Amino acid sequence: MALTMFGLLASPVQAADITIKVRVQNQVKDEATGKSTKEPIAGVKVVVTGADGVVVAEGVTDDTGLAAIVVPAKADYTVTLDESTLPDGFVLADGESERAVTEDNFVTDSVTLNFFTGNAERTSIGYWSQLAQRLADGARFGLILAMCAVGLSLIFGTTGLTNFAHGELVTFAALIAFVLNNERGWSLLVAAPLAIVAGGMFGLVTNEAVYAPLRRRQIGLISQMVVSVGIAIILKNVYLAYFGGRVKAYAAFNRQTCTELGPVCVTPRDLTTAAISLLLLVLVGVALQKTRIGKATRAVSDNSELASSTGIDSQKIIRIVWFVGGMLAATGGIFRGLDEGVSPFLGANLLFLMFAGITLGGLGSAFGALVGSFLIGLFVEASTLGMPIMPGADWPAPFDWLHDGVPSELKAAPVYVVMIIVLLVRPQGILGRRERVG
Amino acid sequence: MLAAFSDMNWQLIATATLTAVFGVDAMYFAIAAIGLNVQFGYAGLLNFGQAGFMACGAYAIGMTAHYWNISFWWGIPMAIGYATVFGLIMGIPTLRLRSDYLAIVTIALAELLRLIVRSVTFKKYFNGSDGINGFGKTFTEETPFNPSGKYSLWPFDQNANLFGRVMLLLIFSVASVMVGRMIADRLRGPREKLRVILPVVIFALVMLGAKQTEYGGLGFKSLIVGWLVVFVIGALIYMLMRSPWGRVIKGIREDEEAVRSLGKNIYSYKLQALILGGAIATFGGMMFSLSRGSVQPDNYSRDTTFFVLTALVLGGLAKVTGSIVGPMLYWGISQFISVFLFELTQAWGGRVEIFGVPLITSSSQIGAWVQGLLGLMLVLLMVFRPQGLFGNRKEMALDGR
Repeated sequence: MALTMFGLLASPVQAADITIKVRVQNQVKDEATGKSTKEPIAGVKVVVTGADGVVVAEGVTDDTGLAAIVVPAKADYTVTLDESTLPDGFVLADGESERAVTEDNFVTDSVTLNFFTGNAERTSIGYWSQLAQRLADGARFGLILAMCAVGLSLIFGTTGLTNFAHGELVTFAALIAFVLNNERGWSLLVAAPLAIVAGGMFGLVTNEAVYAPLRRRQIGLISQMVVSVGIAIILKNVYLAYFGGRVKAYAAFNRQTCTELGPVCVTPRDLTTAAISLLLLVLVGVALQKTRIGKATRAVSDNSELASSTGIDSQKIIRIVWFVGGMLAATGGIFRGLDEGVSPFLGANLLFLMFAGITLGGLGSAFGALVGSFLIGLFVEASTLGMPIMPGADWPAPFDWLHDGVPSELKAAPVYVVMIIVLLVRPQGILGRRERVG
Repeated sequence: MLAAFSDMNWQLIATATLTAVFGVDAMYFAIAAIGLNVQFGYAGLLNFGQAGFMACGAYAIGMTAHYWNISFWWGIPMAIGYATVFGLIMGIPTLRLRSDYLAIVTIALAELLRLIVRSVTFKKYFNGSDGINGFGKTFTEETPFNPSGKYSLWPFDQNANLFGRVMLLLIFSVASVMVGRMIADRLRGPREKLRVILPVVIFALVMLGAKQTEYGGLGFKSLIVGWLVVFVIGALIYMLMRSPWGRVIKGIREDEEAVRSLGKNIYSYKLQALILGGAIATFGGMMFSLSRGSVQPDNYSRDTTFFVLTALVLGGLAKVTGSIVGPMLYWGISQFISVFLFELTQAWGGRVEIFGVPLITSSSQIGAWVQGLLGLMLVLLMVFRPQGLFGNRKEMALDGR
């Protein structure tokens, strides 16, 4: 290949001009309308190198942002944009200043490449501010996840059931709130509390209609787990049939501008949901430690028979756990829906992260679920940032992730790695006790 | 209302249902269900990541074309290698722990595998969310069947040759005798007579059903080869479970401590069962992707695992016959509900309402209804007949820890 290239370079006699057209534009997205506008950038230097690394041609963009560079033949080239010639404050949107052109790209006599600049502000933010922002987002997500997971963990603790339909319980209230808010036109401040109570009732009904009879018939825990899988399938498809598969946003609190708060920027909505989540979780923690019902719940979790023999009505405790767990899951679902939009898969997509959080914290321990899920939420958001102090910037994936951060499409991957390491090293989790395992 | 029923195309419903009973979906589900049966039915391991193992097989075949550029036959050893690695990653951290840990980790890792193969980051290897398409042509094109022809499993079909006729009759009669005797042993009454009558009745039903089937010639070869794979693997597992190894596996399900006290390494046996079941499931993924010449990452979501589980529970756990007949009936039921609801919606003018409650307002809802009803079937089976059609209630791992 290199020889052919060299031969072609030596005899620059060509019938038609083979050109690589490079267009450089600045892309500005208007946050309010969601539309983006493009403006040409002039005076940007572009260098074309051949497959052997020798510079073949150069060009500079004109007023229309276009540089037409004549190349000797249809072959493989690398087109490099000289970032130092970009006007001050402009950065390439994807950070990729090099583009490869292969022989196959020349369908006609020319190839057009588009470079976009934009997001100049975001990349100019320092690493530590970015990290602070991610940690703030992660903490918020961790609180939501913890709310969803506490119910799952309490249900597991008191009944032994690993509820695979818990994600659908989370989705339920988010959908109810959506219908009330968007289709009935009620304020979300009214719709959300109603939906949360409905979520609690839904949990209670699930227990009364399905799991309580199964327990009375002494059907094994694995059977109950498979039943919960079936219920998850039923609920997901009912949601899908009536709601459709698309992600939809609540009408209320939809667009908000964020306010600076130290190094991070949060919207009033996010600040409120985080505060409510924190308050609810503290309440649950205090209730578990201090109140009679909370103590009884922990007693049933530890040893159901022993608790019953001291006069605790374990079935009543289980009903309370389903109701409160359902309400917490509902709150988490609505808050998540405010963040990411509502879809039938909202809760199911969180289920694995909840499991990871519960495993990390210790299966069956409510405080473990709380701490574990919070850490998982934090970790998921932070992992996409990476650590510039680590080596491996040019290593192949996944080894470059330590340096560059995890691609956001795979941000769940490190969570599963953590989960497996926890199971290998300390299967009882951070707060679990050894005899629970095995 | 009744007039609407007579407007529906019942011939179409019958053909679609019976075609699905013997179809590609039932075939690859049966392979995956035999694998799940080794893990769940015989060893009592609750593997919720069977879709991940199936994806191992499908992507092993796909990658031979997309990434390695070698003959697709290399996909078989590669699939078994992938399944072994995948099984080790799942099993090593969890098999010493309680069974719910295995369920959680397997379902999470299978989902992670799907995220990885559909990611842009690893597009070089797996071609992202487009999946890998147009491979295995050497397999599908070298076919004795006319690609544009129509074929059925009716042994006296005009397109069938002598070999095909003899093979079909042989397989149908052997299968009928096996299934018939199994049902007869399970029923009260004159067992000796039933052991003769039931196989004949089932043979007649299978022949009648086979007459209704209709397959395109293009995928017919992979269908035939796939069912042969089902029967070969099924026979091997049937024998394996009567070997000393199989008895240890079943012993672990019944009482781990008892087997441990005999000096067996439980952990190692569980790991072997998990990997064996996974390696079998890869053949399901391979046959499915070969029959279409295409691998799609989203075919291997957690729903696939759940529906393989449903099909297995329907047939009956810890029975090879159950793991083959279950998927056939599962797809028959699924296709029946689907086409029935479609025809019903058509006959009732695009809307199904019962007592004023709108159940179906557009045909795009039918898929969700079908899956929801199948989920309901899983719940009802688990509650009222956990042994499924052929299983033995005493031989159930479901009441374990």
